[in-house]
Amino acid sequence: MTPVPNPKFEWMNQSRQWGVRVKPGKKGLTLGSLNVGIYGEVPTEWNDQTRNPRGAIARRGMPPVGYAIREKAGIWADCAADLYEEAIQRRWAPATDVPWDTIEPLPDDVERAVCQVCTELSQYANVDIETISSWQHQMAYGYHEVKQFLATATFDAGRHYEVFRKRALRNGGGLGLESPGEVNRMILESRGGWTEAVTYLFLLRGTYAMTMLRYLERFAHNDAERFIYGHVIQDRARHMAYALDHLKYSVAHVEDQTTVLATLLFIGDRLFARELRDPVLREALAIIFGGGVEGARTHGMATWEAMMREFMARYEGTCEWLRVRRAPDRIPEEMRRFLPEAD
Amino acid sequence: MARFPSEAWFGAVAGVFNGDDSYQGAGGGHCNCTAGLVIEGRNEGKDEDVVEEVFVLTFEGAECKGGVEADEAALDEVDFYMHMPRVDWREMLEDIRDHGHATENHTLNSLDLERDDGLSTSKHGDQYREDLFFRYNQTLQFYFDASARVKTAFS
Repeated sequence: MTPVPNPKFEWMNQSRQWGVRVKPGKKGLTLGSLNVGIYGEVPTEWNDQTRNPRGAIARRGMPPVGYAIREKAGIWADCAADLYEEAIQRRWAPATDVPWDTIEPLPDDVERAVCQVCTELSQYANVDIETISSWQHQMAYGYHEVKQFLATATFDAGRHYEVFRKRALRNGGGLGLESPGEVNRMILESRGGWTEAVTYLFLLRGTYAMTMLRYLERFAHNDAERFIYGHVIQDRARHMAYALDHLKYSVAHVEDQTTVLATLLFIGDRLFARELRDPVLREALAIIFGGGVEGARTHGMATWEAMMREFMARYEGTCEWLRVRRAPDRIPEEMRRFLPEAD
Repeated sequence: MARFPSEAWFGAVAGVFNGDDSYQGAGGGHCNCTAGLVIEGRNEGKDEDVVEEVFVLTFEGAECKGGVEADEAALDEVDFYMHMPRVDWREMLEDIRDHGHATENHTLNSLDLERDDGLSTSKHGDQYREDLFFRYNQTLQFYFDASARVKTAFS
Protein backbone atom coordinates (compact mmCIF):
# COMPACT_ATOMS: atom_id res chain seq x y z
CA MET A 1 0.00 0.00 0.00
CA THR A 2 1.37 3.41 -0.99
CA PRO A 3 1.97 5.55 2.08
CA VAL A 4 -0.13 8.71 2.37
CA PRO A 5 2.18 11.70 1.66
CA ASN A 6 2.77 14.00 4.55
CA PRO A 7 1.67 17.52 3.44
CA LYS A 8 4.13 20.30 4.23
CA PHE A 9 1.81 23.31 3.64
CA GLU A 10 4.80 25.43 2.59
CA TRP A 11 2.58 27.61 0.37
CA MET A 12 0.64 28.83 3.38
CA ASN A 13 3.10 31.54 4.34
CA GLN A 14 3.41 32.82 0.81
CA SER A 15 1.72 36.23 0.70
CA ARG A 16 3.01 39.70 0.00
CA GLN A 17 0.56 41.17 2.46
CA TRP A 18 -1.51 39.16 4.94
CA GLY A 19 -4.13 40.25 7.44
CA VAL A 20 -6.15 42.39 5.07
CA ARG A 21 -9.72 42.87 6.23
CA VAL A 22 -11.71 45.15 3.91
CA LYS A 23 -15.10 46.11 5.29
CA PRO A 24 -18.16 46.50 3.08
CA GLY A 25 -19.25 50.13 2.77
CA LYS A 26 -22.60 51.68 1.88
CA LYS A 27 -22.32 50.24 -1.64
CA GLY A 28 -21.27 46.79 -0.41
CA LEU A 29 -17.85 45.20 -0.81
CA THR A 30 -16.86 46.90 -4.02
CA LEU A 31 -13.97 46.14 -6.35
CA GLY A 32 -12.52 49.59 -5.80
CA SER A 33 -12.58 49.24 -2.02
CA LEU A 34 -10.14 46.30 -2.28
CA ASN A 35 -7.40 48.68 -3.37
CA VAL A 36 -5.68 48.81 0.02
CA GLY A 37 -2.00 48.37 0.86
CA ILE A 38 0.01 46.64 -1.84
CA TYR A 39 -3.21 45.53 -3.52
CA GLY A 40 -3.95 49.11 -4.42
CA GLU A 41 -0.59 49.78 -6.03
CA VAL A 42 -1.27 50.30 -9.73
CA PRO A 43 2.11 50.70 -11.44
CA THR A 44 2.68 52.90 -14.48
CA GLU A 45 4.19 49.85 -16.21
CA TRP A 46 3.31 46.20 -15.69
CA ASN A 47 6.20 44.07 -16.78
CA ASP A 48 4.91 40.72 -15.52
CA GLN A 49 4.03 38.80 -18.66
CA THR A 50 1.98 36.15 -16.87
CA ARG A 51 -1.56 35.93 -15.55
CA ASN A 52 -0.34 36.65 -12.04
CA PRO A 53 -3.09 38.61 -10.25
CA ARG A 54 -1.95 42.01 -8.96
CA GLY A 55 -0.60 41.56 -5.43
CA ALA A 56 0.09 37.82 -5.69
CA ILE A 57 3.57 36.29 -5.62
CA ALA A 58 4.87 35.42 -9.05
CA ARG A 59 5.77 31.79 -9.66
CA ARG A 60 9.21 31.28 -11.17
CA GLY A 61 9.57 29.85 -14.63
CA MET A 62 6.16 30.85 -15.95
CA PRO A 63 6.23 31.23 -19.74
CA PRO A 64 5.23 34.72 -20.98
CA VAL A 65 1.72 35.18 -22.34
CA GLY A 66 2.72 38.14 -24.53
CA TYR A 67 0.54 41.00 -23.35
CA ALA A 68 0.92 44.00 -25.62
CA ILE A 69 -0.79 46.56 -23.35
CA ARG A 70 1.43 46.87 -20.30
CA GLU A 71 1.49 50.63 -19.76
CA LYS A 72 -1.04 52.32 -17.54
CA ALA A 73 -1.36 55.26 -19.93
CA GLY A 74 -2.57 52.91 -22.64
CA ILE A 75 -5.54 51.51 -20.76
CA TRP A 76 -6.27 53.18 -17.43
CA ALA A 77 -9.33 55.07 -16.21
CA ASP A 78 -9.79 55.83 -12.52
CA CYS A 79 -13.51 55.17 -12.78
CA ALA A 80 -13.19 51.60 -14.12
CA ALA A 81 -13.77 49.79 -10.81
CA ASP A 82 -16.88 51.87 -10.05
CA LEU A 83 -18.20 51.40 -13.57
CA TYR A 84 -17.75 47.65 -13.21
CA GLU A 85 -19.94 47.65 -10.11
CA GLU A 86 -22.45 49.91 -11.81
CA ALA A 87 -22.70 47.62 -14.83
CA ILE A 88 -23.36 44.61 -12.64
CA GLN A 89 -25.85 46.49 -10.48
CA ARG A 90 -27.79 48.17 -13.29
CA ARG A 91 -28.07 45.17 -15.62
CA TRP A 92 -31.32 44.32 -17.38
CA ALA A 93 -32.68 41.37 -19.31
CA PRO A 94 -34.26 41.87 -22.74
CA ALA A 95 -36.23 38.64 -22.54
CA THR A 96 -38.25 39.60 -19.48
CA ASP A 97 -37.72 43.28 -18.63
CA VAL A 98 -38.81 44.81 -21.94
CA PRO A 99 -42.62 45.19 -22.07
CA TRP A 100 -42.85 43.37 -25.39
CA ASP A 101 -46.65 43.20 -25.27
CA THR A 102 -46.90 46.96 -25.76
CA ILE A 103 -45.75 46.60 -29.37
CA GLU A 104 -48.65 46.89 -31.78
CA PRO A 105 -48.75 46.72 -35.57
CA LEU A 106 -47.19 49.73 -37.29
CA PRO A 107 -47.66 50.98 -40.86
CA ASP A 108 -45.52 48.89 -43.21
CA ASP A 109 -43.10 51.71 -44.10
CA VAL A 110 -42.51 52.54 -40.44
CA GLU A 111 -42.00 48.89 -39.46
CA ARG A 112 -39.49 48.47 -42.29
CA ALA A 113 -37.63 51.55 -41.10
CA VAL A 114 -37.53 50.37 -37.47
CA CYS A 115 -36.26 46.96 -38.60
CA GLN A 116 -33.58 48.55 -40.76
CA VAL A 117 -32.36 50.69 -37.88
CA CYS A 118 -32.36 47.64 -35.59
CA THR A 119 -30.31 45.76 -38.18
CA GLU A 120 -27.75 48.56 -38.15
CA LEU A 121 -27.70 48.82 -34.36
CA SER A 122 -27.19 45.05 -34.07
CA GLN A 123 -24.12 45.43 -36.23
CA TYR A 124 -22.84 48.25 -34.04
CA ALA A 125 -23.21 45.93 -31.05
CA ASN A 126 -21.35 43.16 -32.86
CA VAL A 127 -18.49 45.54 -33.56
CA ASP A 128 -18.42 46.50 -29.87
CA ILE A 129 -18.14 42.84 -28.88
CA GLU A 130 -15.47 41.94 -31.41
CA THR A 131 -13.39 45.05 -30.88
CA ILE A 132 -13.29 44.88 -27.10
CA SER A 133 -12.68 41.15 -27.00
CA SER A 134 -9.94 41.37 -29.62
CA TRP A 135 -8.02 43.67 -27.26
CA GLN A 136 -9.04 42.10 -23.96
CA HIS A 137 -6.48 39.27 -24.08
CA GLN A 138 -3.70 41.75 -24.79
CA MET A 139 -4.29 43.72 -21.59
CA ALA A 140 -1.97 42.99 -18.68
CA TYR A 141 -3.46 41.76 -15.41
CA GLY A 142 -1.98 44.67 -13.51
CA TYR A 143 -4.95 46.71 -14.67
CA HIS A 144 -7.66 44.19 -13.80
CA GLU A 145 -10.25 46.90 -13.00
CA VAL A 146 -10.30 47.91 -16.66
CA LYS A 147 -10.29 44.32 -17.91
CA GLN A 148 -13.25 43.52 -15.69
CA PHE A 149 -15.16 46.64 -16.68
CA LEU A 150 -14.58 45.91 -20.35
CA ALA A 151 -15.89 42.39 -19.80
CA THR A 152 -19.17 43.97 -18.67
CA ALA A 153 -19.11 46.28 -21.71
CA THR A 154 -18.82 43.21 -23.94
CA PHE A 155 -21.75 41.65 -22.13
CA ASP A 156 -23.72 44.90 -22.50
CA ALA A 157 -23.04 44.79 -26.24
CA GLY A 158 -24.23 41.18 -26.34
CA ARG A 159 -27.45 42.37 -24.74
CA HIS A 160 -27.76 45.17 -27.32
CA TYR A 161 -27.28 42.74 -30.19
CA GLU A 162 -29.98 40.57 -28.65
CA VAL A 163 -32.51 43.31 -27.97
CA PHE A 164 -32.34 44.93 -31.42
CA ARG A 165 -32.66 41.55 -33.11
CA LYS A 166 -35.65 40.79 -30.91
CA ARG A 167 -37.33 44.09 -31.75
CA ALA A 168 -36.81 43.47 -35.48
CA LEU A 169 -38.39 40.01 -35.26
CA ARG A 170 -41.24 40.88 -32.90
CA ASN A 171 -43.72 42.78 -35.03
CA GLY A 172 -44.19 41.13 -38.41
CA GLY A 173 -40.99 42.48 -39.96
CA GLY A 174 -37.49 41.07 -40.10
CA LEU A 175 -33.90 42.09 -40.50
CA GLY A 176 -33.06 44.53 -43.27
CA LEU A 177 -29.97 45.42 -45.26
CA GLU A 178 -26.43 45.04 -43.97
CA SER A 179 -24.66 48.36 -43.39
CA PRO A 180 -21.81 49.49 -45.67
CA GLY A 181 -19.50 48.52 -42.82
CA GLU A 182 -16.57 50.82 -43.61
CA VAL A 183 -16.53 52.38 -40.15
CA ASN A 184 -17.03 48.93 -38.62
CA ARG A 185 -13.94 47.70 -40.44
CA MET A 186 -11.93 50.78 -39.46
CA ILE A 187 -12.75 50.22 -35.78
CA LEU A 188 -12.08 46.49 -35.90
CA GLU A 189 -8.84 46.86 -37.79
CA SER A 190 -7.35 49.73 -35.79
CA ARG A 191 -4.02 48.36 -34.65
CA GLY A 192 -2.26 51.35 -33.12
CA GLY A 193 -3.18 50.42 -29.56
CA TRP A 194 -6.20 50.28 -27.30
CA THR A 195 -6.39 54.07 -27.02
CA GLU A 196 -6.82 54.27 -30.79
CA ALA A 197 -9.59 51.69 -30.62
CA VAL A 198 -11.26 53.68 -27.82
CA THR A 199 -11.08 56.80 -29.97
CA TYR A 200 -12.88 55.19 -32.89
CA LEU A 201 -15.21 52.84 -31.03
CA PHE A 202 -16.44 55.19 -28.31
CA LEU A 203 -15.56 58.78 -29.16
CA LEU A 204 -16.58 58.70 -32.82
CA ARG A 205 -19.01 55.78 -33.25
CA GLY A 206 -20.20 55.85 -29.64
CA THR A 207 -21.15 59.52 -29.72
CA TYR A 208 -23.03 58.99 -32.97
CA ALA A 209 -24.84 55.90 -31.68
CA MET A 210 -25.78 57.67 -28.44
CA THR A 211 -27.24 60.60 -30.32
CA MET A 212 -29.20 58.32 -32.62
CA LEU A 213 -30.56 56.35 -29.66
CA ARG A 214 -31.63 59.54 -27.93
CA TYR A 215 -33.67 60.53 -30.99
CA LEU A 216 -35.09 57.03 -31.31
CA GLU A 217 -36.22 57.22 -27.69
CA ARG A 218 -37.85 60.55 -28.45
CA PHE A 219 -39.75 59.01 -31.38
CA ALA A 220 -40.43 55.58 -29.84
CA HIS A 221 -43.73 54.05 -30.92
CA ASN A 222 -44.49 52.19 -27.71
CA ASP A 223 -43.23 51.50 -24.19
CA ALA A 224 -41.13 48.56 -25.38
CA GLU A 225 -39.11 50.72 -27.77
CA ARG A 226 -38.90 53.49 -25.18
CA PHE A 227 -37.51 50.96 -22.70
CA ILE A 228 -35.03 49.51 -25.19
CA TYR A 229 -33.58 52.80 -26.38
CA GLY A 230 -33.56 54.33 -22.89
CA HIS A 231 -31.69 51.39 -21.40
CA VAL A 232 -29.17 51.10 -24.22
CA ILE A 233 -28.47 54.82 -23.77
CA GLN A 234 -27.60 54.16 -20.12
CA ASP A 235 -25.27 51.28 -21.00
CA ARG A 236 -23.57 53.27 -23.72
CA ALA A 237 -23.21 56.27 -21.41
CA ARG A 238 -21.29 53.99 -19.05
CA HIS A 239 -18.98 52.92 -21.87
CA MET A 240 -18.53 56.57 -22.80
CA ALA A 241 -17.64 57.40 -19.19
CA TYR A 242 -14.76 54.92 -19.35
CA ALA A 243 -13.69 56.28 -22.74
CA LEU A 244 -13.68 59.91 -21.59
CA ASP A 245 -11.81 59.07 -18.40
CA HIS A 246 -9.25 56.96 -20.27
CA LEU A 247 -8.68 59.52 -23.01
CA LYS A 248 -8.31 62.26 -20.39
CA TYR A 249 -5.75 60.10 -18.55
CA SER A 250 -3.95 59.31 -21.76
CA VAL A 251 -3.78 62.98 -22.77
CA ALA A 252 -2.36 63.83 -19.34
CA HIS A 253 0.34 61.14 -19.43
CA VAL A 254 1.38 60.67 -23.05
CA GLU A 255 3.36 63.41 -24.73
CA ASP A 256 1.75 64.88 -27.82
CA GLN A 257 -1.31 62.69 -27.37
CA THR A 258 -3.79 65.43 -28.30
CA THR A 259 -2.10 65.76 -31.69
CA VAL A 260 -2.18 61.99 -32.16
CA LEU A 261 -5.90 61.93 -31.34
CA ALA A 262 -6.51 64.80 -33.77
CA THR A 263 -4.76 62.84 -36.51
CA LEU A 264 -6.71 59.69 -35.73
CA LEU A 265 -9.97 61.61 -35.92
CA PHE A 266 -8.88 63.26 -39.16
CA ILE A 267 -8.55 59.76 -40.63
CA GLY A 268 -11.66 58.37 -38.95
CA ASP A 269 -13.88 61.27 -39.97
CA ARG A 270 -13.20 60.59 -43.64
CA LEU A 271 -14.48 57.05 -43.46
CA PHE A 272 -17.37 58.15 -41.27
CA ALA A 273 -18.29 60.89 -43.78
CA ARG A 274 -18.10 58.45 -46.67
CA GLU A 275 -20.50 56.14 -44.90
CA LEU A 276 -22.88 59.06 -44.31
CA ARG A 277 -23.35 59.23 -48.08
CA ASP A 278 -25.06 55.85 -47.96
CA PRO A 279 -28.79 56.70 -47.83
CA VAL A 280 -30.14 53.60 -46.09
CA LEU A 281 -29.78 54.54 -42.42
CA ARG A 282 -30.55 58.21 -43.07
CA GLU A 283 -33.79 57.38 -44.89
CA ALA A 284 -34.87 54.81 -42.33
CA LEU A 285 -34.35 57.29 -39.51
CA ALA A 286 -36.20 60.01 -41.44
CA ILE A 287 -39.19 57.67 -41.85
CA ILE A 288 -39.25 57.00 -38.10
CA PHE A 289 -38.87 60.69 -37.25
CA GLY A 290 -41.44 61.70 -39.87
CA GLY A 291 -43.98 58.99 -39.06
CA GLY A 292 -43.85 57.46 -42.54
CA VAL A 293 -42.50 57.91 -46.04
CA GLU A 294 -44.48 61.11 -46.63
CA GLY A 295 -43.35 62.72 -43.41
CA ALA A 296 -39.79 61.58 -44.05
CA ARG A 297 -39.56 63.97 -46.98
CA THR A 298 -40.27 66.97 -44.81
CA HIS A 299 -39.98 67.01 -41.03
CA GLY A 300 -38.39 63.55 -40.93
CA MET A 301 -35.34 64.77 -42.80
CA ALA A 302 -35.37 68.02 -40.84
CA THR A 303 -35.25 66.00 -37.62
CA TRP A 304 -32.42 63.86 -39.02
CA GLU A 305 -30.51 67.08 -39.67
CA ALA A 306 -31.21 68.23 -36.12
CA MET A 307 -29.88 64.88 -34.91
CA MET A 308 -26.70 65.38 -36.91
CA ARG A 309 -26.26 68.87 -35.45
CA GLU A 310 -26.67 67.42 -31.97
CA PHE A 311 -24.13 64.72 -32.80
CA MET A 312 -21.56 67.18 -34.09
CA ALA A 313 -22.06 69.52 -31.14
CA ARG A 314 -21.39 66.68 -28.70
CA TYR A 315 -18.55 65.20 -30.74
CA GLU A 316 -16.76 68.52 -31.06
CA GLY A 317 -17.60 69.39 -27.45
CA THR A 318 -15.89 66.22 -26.29
CA CYS A 319 -12.83 66.92 -28.44
CA GLU A 320 -12.66 70.40 -26.96
CA TRP A 321 -12.99 68.99 -23.43
CA LEU A 322 -10.07 66.66 -24.22
CA ARG A 323 -8.17 69.66 -25.67
CA VAL A 324 -7.98 67.99 -29.05
CA ARG A 325 -7.89 70.91 -31.45
CA ARG A 326 -9.55 70.38 -34.79
CA ALA A 327 -9.56 72.98 -37.52
CA PRO A 328 -13.01 73.07 -39.14
CA ASP A 329 -11.48 72.98 -42.62
CA ARG A 330 -9.99 69.57 -41.80
CA ILE A 331 -13.42 68.14 -41.03
CA PRO A 332 -15.15 66.59 -44.07
CA GLU A 333 -17.93 68.67 -45.58
CA GLU A 334 -20.51 65.91 -44.86
CA MET A 335 -19.88 66.52 -41.15
CA ARG A 336 -18.76 70.15 -41.12
CA ARG A 337 -22.10 71.40 -42.37
CA PHE A 338 -23.65 70.26 -39.11
CA LEU A 339 -21.24 72.16 -36.88
CA PRO A 340 -23.02 74.72 -34.66
CA GLU A 341 -21.17 77.59 -36.40
CA ALA A 342 -22.49 76.41 -39.75
CA ASP A 343 -26.12 77.17 -38.78
CA MET B 1 -51.09 67.19 -0.91
CA ALA B 2 -47.58 68.55 -1.48
CA ARG B 3 -46.74 71.71 -3.36
CA PHE B 4 -44.30 71.61 -6.26
CA PRO B 5 -41.58 72.71 -5.88
CA SER B 6 -40.85 72.26 -2.19
CA GLU B 7 -38.69 70.10 0.04
CA ALA B 8 -41.88 68.37 1.18
CA TRP B 9 -42.75 67.47 -2.41
CA PHE B 10 -39.30 66.09 -3.20
CA GLY B 11 -39.37 64.15 0.05
CA ALA B 12 -42.80 62.70 -0.69
CA VAL B 13 -41.69 61.57 -4.15
CA ALA B 14 -38.48 60.12 -2.67
CA GLY B 15 -40.66 58.16 -0.24
CA VAL B 16 -42.59 56.56 -3.12
CA PHE B 17 -39.41 56.01 -5.16
CA ASN B 18 -37.47 54.43 -2.30
CA GLY B 19 -40.36 52.19 -1.35
CA ASP B 20 -40.90 50.66 -4.79
CA ASP B 21 -38.51 47.77 -5.47
CA SER B 22 -39.44 47.71 -9.15
CA TYR B 23 -37.38 50.88 -9.60
CA GLN B 24 -34.26 49.01 -8.47
CA GLY B 25 -34.26 46.28 -11.10
CA ALA B 26 -34.32 46.20 -14.88
CA GLY B 27 -31.69 48.83 -15.50
CA GLY B 28 -32.47 50.92 -12.45
CA GLY B 29 -30.51 50.43 -9.27
CA HIS B 30 -27.60 52.12 -7.60
CA CYS B 31 -27.22 55.73 -8.57
CA ASN B 32 -24.72 58.18 -7.12
CA CYS B 33 -25.07 61.77 -8.14
CA THR B 34 -26.27 65.19 -7.10
CA ALA B 35 -28.66 66.84 -9.51
CA GLY B 36 -29.78 70.43 -9.42
CA LEU B 37 -33.31 71.36 -10.33
CA VAL B 38 -33.95 74.91 -11.44
CA ILE B 39 -37.37 76.48 -11.74
CA GLU B 40 -37.18 79.42 -14.06
CA GLY B 41 -39.50 82.37 -14.37
CA ARG B 42 -39.96 84.93 -17.06
CA ASN B 43 -37.95 88.12 -16.79
CA GLU B 44 -40.58 90.65 -17.84
CA GLY B 45 -39.44 92.92 -20.60
CA LYS B 46 -36.46 90.74 -21.52
CA ASP B 47 -36.34 87.68 -23.72
CA GLU B 48 -34.76 85.45 -21.12
CA ASP B 49 -35.64 83.22 -18.20
CA VAL B 50 -34.40 83.88 -14.69
CA VAL B 51 -33.69 81.45 -11.89
CA GLU B 52 -36.53 81.58 -9.37
CA GLU B 53 -35.99 78.51 -7.23
CA VAL B 54 -33.20 75.94 -6.90
CA PHE B 55 -33.32 72.48 -5.31
CA VAL B 56 -30.59 69.88 -5.01
CA LEU B 57 -31.58 66.22 -5.33
CA THR B 58 -29.19 63.63 -3.93
CA PHE B 59 -29.08 60.00 -4.99
CA GLU B 60 -26.96 57.63 -2.97
CA GLY B 61 -26.87 53.92 -3.66
CA ALA B 62 -30.41 52.61 -3.96
CA GLU B 63 -31.94 55.68 -2.33
CA CYS B 64 -32.98 59.16 -3.19
CA LYS B 65 -32.21 61.31 -0.17
CA GLY B 66 -34.77 63.91 -1.21
CA GLY B 67 -34.30 67.46 -2.32
CA VAL B 68 -33.20 70.50 -0.37
CA GLU B 69 -33.79 74.10 -1.29
CA ALA B 70 -30.60 75.92 -2.18
CA ASP B 71 -29.34 79.13 -3.70
CA GLU B 72 -27.98 79.59 -7.18
CA ALA B 73 -24.39 79.09 -5.99
CA ALA B 74 -25.22 75.44 -5.27
CA LEU B 75 -25.37 74.87 -9.01
CA ASP B 76 -21.57 75.16 -9.12
CA GLU B 77 -21.31 72.01 -7.02
CA VAL B 78 -23.90 69.63 -8.47
CA ASP B 79 -22.95 67.07 -11.13
CA PHE B 80 -25.53 68.55 -13.49
CA TYR B 81 -28.74 70.49 -13.23
CA MET B 82 -32.05 70.41 -15.05
CA HIS B 83 -33.63 73.76 -15.80
CA MET B 84 -37.05 74.65 -17.18
CA PRO B 85 -39.62 77.39 -16.76
CA ARG B 86 -42.16 76.70 -14.06
CA VAL B 87 -44.91 76.13 -16.62
CA ASP B 88 -42.88 73.40 -18.38
CA TRP B 89 -42.12 71.57 -15.13
CA ARG B 90 -45.83 71.62 -14.46
CA GLU B 91 -46.65 70.28 -17.92
CA MET B 92 -44.16 67.43 -17.46
CA LEU B 93 -45.53 66.48 -14.06
CA GLU B 94 -49.12 66.64 -15.29
CA ASP B 95 -48.25 64.29 -18.14
CA ILE B 96 -46.73 61.89 -15.62
CA ARG B 97 -49.79 62.17 -13.39
CA ASP B 98 -52.16 61.52 -16.29
CA HIS B 99 -50.31 58.49 -17.69
CA GLY B 100 -48.55 57.05 -14.65
CA HIS B 101 -45.21 57.78 -16.28
CA ALA B 102 -43.73 60.27 -18.72
CA THR B 103 -44.80 59.82 -22.32
CA GLU B 104 -43.31 60.79 -25.67
CA ASN B 105 -42.04 64.34 -25.55
CA HIS B 106 -42.19 64.56 -21.76
CA THR B 107 -39.39 62.13 -20.90
CA LEU B 108 -36.23 63.76 -19.56
CA ASN B 109 -34.34 62.71 -22.68
CA SER B 110 -36.99 64.16 -25.00
CA LEU B 111 -37.12 67.42 -23.09
CA ASP B 112 -33.34 67.68 -23.31
CA LEU B 113 -33.55 67.25 -27.09
CA GLU B 114 -36.61 69.40 -27.69
CA ARG B 115 -35.66 72.48 -25.77
CA ASP B 116 -33.48 75.05 -27.51
CA ASP B 117 -31.07 75.26 -24.60
CA GLY B 118 -31.56 71.66 -23.49
CA LEU B 119 -32.77 70.45 -20.13
CA SER B 120 -29.56 69.26 -18.50
CA THR B 121 -26.37 71.26 -18.22
CA SER B 122 -23.69 72.26 -15.73
CA LYS B 123 -21.72 75.27 -14.56
CA HIS B 124 -18.41 73.41 -14.43
CA GLY B 125 -18.43 72.04 -17.98
CA ASP B 126 -16.96 68.71 -16.88
CA GLN B 127 -18.40 66.37 -19.46
CA TYR B 128 -17.76 63.28 -17.37
CA ARG B 129 -20.01 64.64 -14.61
CA GLU B 130 -22.55 66.11 -17.03
CA ASP B 131 -22.97 62.68 -18.62
CA LEU B 132 -24.29 61.25 -15.35
CA PHE B 133 -27.60 62.60 -16.65
CA PHE B 134 -27.44 59.86 -19.31
CA ARG B 135 -25.80 57.16 -17.18
CA TYR B 136 -28.57 57.38 -14.58
CA ASN B 137 -31.30 58.57 -16.89
CA GLN B 138 -33.75 55.74 -16.15
CA THR B 139 -33.35 56.20 -12.40
CA LEU B 140 -33.97 59.93 -12.74
CA GLN B 141 -36.98 59.16 -14.91
CA PHE B 142 -38.24 56.61 -12.37
CA TYR B 143 -37.93 59.26 -9.68
CA PHE B 144 -40.09 61.75 -11.54
CA ASP B 145 -42.47 58.98 -12.65
CA ALA B 146 -42.97 58.17 -8.95
CA SER B 147 -44.55 61.62 -8.61
CA ALA B 148 -47.66 60.19 -10.31
CA ARG B 149 -48.46 58.71 -6.89
CA VAL B 150 -48.03 61.98 -4.98
CA LYS B 151 -50.92 64.42 -4.88
CA THR B 152 -49.38 67.59 -6.19
CA ALA B 153 -50.39 71.22 -6.01
CA PHE B 154 -48.61 73.80 -8.09
CA SER B 155 -47.52 77.16 -6.85
